[in-house]
Amino acid sequence: MTSRGRAVVALVWGVLVTTVLIGLPLALRDRLPDPLATHWDGGFIPDGHTSFGGSVLADLFLWGVGWAFLLGTALRGTVLDTRLWRALWWGFLFGWAVFALGVQGLALYANLDVADWRQAVLPGWLLAAVLGSALAAGAVAGLLGRGEPDPPRDHPVPPSMRLRPGRRAVWVSRTTNPWLVGLSTAALLALVVAGVLFTTGILTDGAAWISLIVLIPLTLFGFATSSISARADEKGLSIGFGPLGRPVHRTPIGEIEAAWVENYGPSRVGGWGVRGMPGTGRITLMLRGGECLVVRRVTGAEIAVSVDDAEHGAALLNAYTAETVTS
Amino acid sequence: MLLTLDLNDSRPLHDQVAGTIRRAIADGSYAPGDRLPPARDLADALGINANTVLRALRELRDEGLLEFRRGRGVSVLGRPDARAVLAEAARELLAEADRYGYGPEEVIHIIRELS
Repeated sequence: MTSRGRAVVALVWGVLVTTVLIGLPLALRDRLPDPLATHWDGGFIPDGHTSFGGSVLADLFLWGVGWAFLLGTALRGTVLDTRLWRALWWGFLFGWAVFALGVQGLALYANLDVADWRQAVLPGWLLAAVLGSALAAGAVAGLLGRGEPDPPRDHPVPPSMRLRPGRRAVWVSRTTNPWLVGLSTAALLALVVAGVLFTTGILTDGAAWISLIVLIPLTLFGFATSSISARADEKGLSIGFGPLGRPVHRTPIGEIEAAWVENYGPSRVGGWGVRGMPGTGRITLMLRGGECLVVRRVTGAEIAVSVDDAEHGAALLNAYTAETVTS
Repeated sequence: MLLTLDLNDSRPLHDQVAGTIRRAIADGSYAPGDRLPPARDLADALGINANTVLRALRELRDEGLLEFRRGRGVSVLGRPDARAVLAEAARELLAEADRYGYGPEEVIHIIRELS
């Protein structure tokens, strides 16, 4: 289905759902108390209420947020080019509608024919039924709407170069993101400050633990992804994380199918750092926008890293790969 | 940065390293203002001592190709002059000729025939 077709389906279906969300409470208005019970505690006893109009608006808002998001993604056609995203889109379109209708239905059912909102008891199994049917509707719609499997992704012609006998050729590059260095340094400083405050007794045990749990991973992960060093040689591609180049991620030359250069930025992969989009089969180490060295393994998995002079790195890897294949 | 070392080259190692970095700058893969990978990365990749790489970098700084900045590493200052690049290419040509058993005189002869 084209992206325009999907947008039309989302529009028609959304109008239908919206009509029910407005029409059903209006039709039942005479049999409902005002205000309505709209919140139940764990024992399914009502503990919160909203006016009739407010409750209808809340239901519309719950549905409308999801609907707007779905319409937006349908119109931005390229997002739904992969099978996984199509399945998620269709699943969300129907699953979210069932969920929104179900939530409203629950509230109306509990409030129906009671004199006062405090008497509106919500049977627990109904909530489970709504969640279950929303998930089931989403799964079925996702399966039906996912479409054809993704075609094998093609890539630009991989560059290559001549390896001369008796010469050792290596390629190295490094990218550093000063913002990430700054952030990690700030986290490290905060850690030191928290340590000092704890030893002087100003910080309580609980607060000290929380700052440790938050700041240590932030510091370590921040430094590890603030700087990346890449090296290509006859053994393959190795990517070192952090200022020390440790840990190292290696792609052996025998497992490389091809390497090439692509130009893209953080907006395509959803931000900086280690990034993976489901359905693309690619992990990106994004430290800055611009040229990225992309390496595809024979398994089809890809790793991309934003480094300078990527063209030479790709050419060298392809040259070494060709040697291992022929020899 | 692409670095190649000739395993049969009899020149001192730091000269060879300087030569391969000079070529990387000459072919435009590193433009003025770009920062070079740290000397330690280069040394690790080539399997040589970091001091050898530093010596090569200092030579290139003295030629006006590189700029050392405290805390900011080494960056490219200017492009090498044509003669230095040609000399490097000629040296490679001579090394290649040597592998096929041709001496410098015969290479000069070939060049004369071409021009």
